[in-house]
Amino acid sequence: MDFNDYELDGRIYDEMFHADGSARSQYQGVHTALTGTSATDLADIQDQVTGSFSSEGISFKVYGDEEGDERIIPVDCLPRVLSGSEWSELETGLTQRLKALNLFLSDVYGPARIVEDGVIPVDVVRGCPQYRIEMRGFQAPHGVWVAICGTDLVRTNEGFKVLEDNLRVPSGVAYMLANRKAVKASFRRLYRSSRVQDIEHYGRVLLTTLQELAPEGTSDPAIALLTPGVYNSAFYEHMFLAREIGAELVEGRDLLVDDGVVYMRTTAGLRRVDVVYRRIDDDFLDPVVFREDSLLGVPGIMHAYQQGNVTLANAPGTGVADDKSVYAYVPDMIRYYLAEEPVIANVETYLCRNPQGLEYTLDNLQNLVVKRVGESGGYGMLIGPHASPAERHEYAEQVRANPADFISQPTLALSRAPCLIDGGIEPRHVDLRPFVLHGRKTRIVPGAFCRVALRKGSLVVNSSQGGGGKDLWVLEN
Amino acid sequence: MLSRSAEGLYWLGRYLERAQHLSRLLRHQTEALVDRPVEEIHFGWLRIYGSLNRQPPVGSLELLAQDAYSLADSYTLADDLTFEPTNPDSVWSGVASGRENARHVRHCLSAEMWTCLNRTYLRIQGLTIQDIWASTPERFYAETVAEIDTFAGVTAATMYRDEGWRFLNLGRSIERVQLSSALLHAHITAAEGTQDVSEAAWTGLLRLYHALEAYNRTYSLAVEPRQVLDLLATDARLPDSLSRSLDMLSAELAAAAPSPNDEAAGAAQRLMGRMSALVNYAWLDRDDPRSLLRRLNAHGRELHDLVTETYFHYPVHDAPLR
Repeated sequence: MDFNDYELDGRIYDEMFHADGSARSQYQGVHTALTGTSATDLADIQDQVTGSFSSEGISFKVYGDEEGDERIIPVDCLPRVLSGSEWSELETGLTQRLKALNLFLSDVYGPARIVEDGVIPVDVVRGCPQYRIEMRGFQAPHGVWVAICGTDLVRTNEGFKVLEDNLRVPSGVAYMLANRKAVKASFRRLYRSSRVQDIEHYGRVLLTTLQELAPEGTSDPAIALLTPGVYNSAFYEHMFLAREIGAELVEGRDLLVDDGVVYMRTTAGLRRVDVVYRRIDDDFLDPVVFREDSLLGVPGIMHAYQQGNVTLANAPGTGVADDKSVYAYVPDMIRYYLAEEPVIANVETYLCRNPQGLEYTLDNLQNLVVKRVGESGGYGMLIGPHASPAERHEYAEQVRANPADFISQPTLALSRAPCLIDGGIEPRHVDLRPFVLHGRKTRIVPGAFCRVALRKGSLVVNSSQGGGGKDLWVLEN
Repeated sequence: MLSRSAEGLYWLGRYLERAQHLSRLLRHQTEALVDRPVEEIHFGWLRIYGSLNRQPPVGSLELLAQDAYSLADSYTLADDLTFEPTNPDSVWSGVASGRENARHVRHCLSAEMWTCLNRTYLRIQGLTIQDIWASTPERFYAETVAEIDTFAGVTAATMYRDEGWRFLNLGRSIERVQLSSALLHAHITAAEGTQDVSEAAWTGLLRLYHALEAYNRTYSLAVEPRQVLDLLATDARLPDSLSRSLDMLSAELAAAAPSPNDEAAGAAQRLMGRMSALVNYAWLDRDDPRSLLRRLNAHGRELHDLVTETYFHYPVHDAPLR
C-alpha cells in the first residue's frame, strides 16, 4: 500500500503523519509494515479481524433497533499508536483528574466546601438531576466513589483534551481487550517488533481494585457483577468481565437483602455478597430508594450499602461529577482540591444556564456543538456546522425554552488516524477512552477503547451512531 | 453456583439434545424419501409427530396413494420440524434457544464451547427449507448432528468439571430419557397402526440408535420387535439406551450440590430410583411396554419439576445461609 492519496489537512492533527507527510516516530514500524503489505493482504487481515468478532459473538445492541437484536461492532484492523511518553503524560493527567473528582464527590455529599467557597455555583450542583439527595452525609468506603472511570479524550492540534468523564457505568473495556486480541493475531510480526505495552492483565487489576474496596474485615470477598441482563447493550462486556474476574454475573432477581446483608441465590442456598460491581444505573439500583418501578434492582441494597455491609462500585450519585455542566468546573476542582494545574485540558464549554453562555451559544450555533446535559451516547446533540438552518432554528428554540439543559462547545477538529476503507487507507476521526481504576490507589492499564467515526467527515464516534473501534498501541519507552 | 446460571446450563443441555435428536430423526426420514415405499415414509412422519405430540401443519397425516403428494407433504412437514420458529420443538428453535441460554451463561462456558455453538447458530440462522431441500437435505441434518456432537466433545475436552458441568449434563440426560421414551412409545403406536412396514421400521429404529450391529451380534439377523425394544431399553453398553441415559441421569443427580431444599431433593432421589427400577427391573417382566414408557415419561416430567424446585426456584425464607 502507498499513502500517495492519503489526505492531510493542516487544521486537523493526523495521528500517523507530520504536516510534511513524514511518519511520526511512533508510527515508523506500522508505516513500514503497511507500505510493504499489498491491498489484498490487508483486506484478508481485515476479514480475519471482523470474522473473529463475529464467531466470538462480540456484539452490542442498539436501542430502538427493531430488526437486529445483536450487532457486531465494526472494527478497523489498523492500530492507532501512541508513544510511551505521550501515554505517561495522559496517565498523570487521568490520575490527577480522578483524584479531584473523588474529592469533589466526598465534598458535595458532605460539607460542600467547594460550593461555600464559591468555586462552583450551588445550583449547578443541586440542580443537577444526577445529584442524589439520598447520598448526603454518606461517606464512601475509603473515600472512593468512583472506582472505575472511562475518560473520553480527544486530540487536536493543541494537544489532548478531556471530552467527557464517564463516572457512572462506563463501558467499552471489553472492546479494548477484544480489539487487541484480534489485531495482535493478524499483525503477528509487526506486533512483536513494535514492543507494545501489555493490557491483558486488565481483569486482574479490576479484581484487585474491587477486592481493595470490600467492607473492612472481609478476608476473601465474594464479588458479583450486577447486570441489567442480556438485553442490555453492553451485556457482552458484563459477561466478559464477570469471567475475567471470576465473579458471579447476577441480575437483580438473583440478589436479596436480609437484615442489611446482600445475598445471592445459589444452588447450595443463599450466599453472602461483599462487593457489587454494578453495571446498572442509579435509577434502577434499588426500588425502595430510587425508581420504585425498577424491576432490575434489588430492594434494600442501598440500606445494606449505607450500613457498610456491601460495597457498590461505583457508588450511587457519581453522576453529579460527570454532568455536562459540572464538567466545565473540573479544572477549577483540580486547582481547588489539589492545588495543581490540570495536566490535560478541558474542552472550552459554554453553559447556557449563564446568560452570557446562552447568548454566545445562540449567536454562534453554526460553529458549535450543542449537547443536552442529561444525554449520552451521542444522542440529542446538535453539530452546528453539519446541521441545516432549519435544524439549527428548531434546536435554538429548545435551548431557549430550557437553557439549563444545554451546554455548547466549539466543534473540535478531532485528530484523524488511518483506517482501511473500501480497500484503501483513508483518515478518519478518532477519540480514545482509557479506563482508570481506583481502589487503594490508582491503576491504569496502558490502552484504551479507541473509537473511530467510520463515515467520511463524521465526528460522531459512538457505536450506536455508525462508529467503530480500533486497537490502541502504547509503545514501550 | 448461581441458581439462574445453573438453570441456564440445564436448559442449554436440554435444548441441544432436543435439536440433535430431531435432526437425527429427520436425517433418516429424508434419506427414506429417496427410495423407501410411501408407506414407510408415512410411518416415519407419524412416528415423529407422535413422539412430539404435535399436530402436523397439513392437518391429519393421511396416507395418500400417489407418491407426488407424499413428497410435497414431506417438504411442508420438514419445514415445520426444521425451521418453523413457532414450533418450540423445531431444530431451529432448539439451536436458537440453546444458544440463547448459552449467551446468558456464557461466562460459565469455555471460550471454545461458545465459539462452536455460535458457529452452528450462524450457519443455520439464514437458511430456509428451500436452501436445504434443493440438493441433499440429509446432509444438512447430518451436519447439524455432527456439530452438536462436536459441541459435546469440545465440552468434554474444555469444560471445568464444576457444578456447571453437572447441570449441563443433568439437562442432557433428562432430555434424553424424555425423548427416548417418547420416541419408543410413538414407534410402537405407529407400528401397530401400519401394515407392511414392520420389519423395515424396526431395522430403521436400530439404525437410529446406532444399534444395528450390536443387535445382529446379540440376537440374530431376524428382527424381532420385542428384542429390539429390549436392546434399546436395557443394554447399558448402547450409548443412547434408556438404561444408560438413566444411569447418567442418576449419577449427575447424586453428585449435585447439597440442596437448599431437602424435601424436594429427597423426593427427586426417590423418583429417580423408581425410574431406574422401571427400566432395569420392571421392563423384563412387562406385558405392556407402552404403558411403562408412558409412566417413565410422566416421571421424567415430575423429575424436572423437582430439580427446578430443588436448585433453581427453592423457597428462600428457610434456605440456608452460606
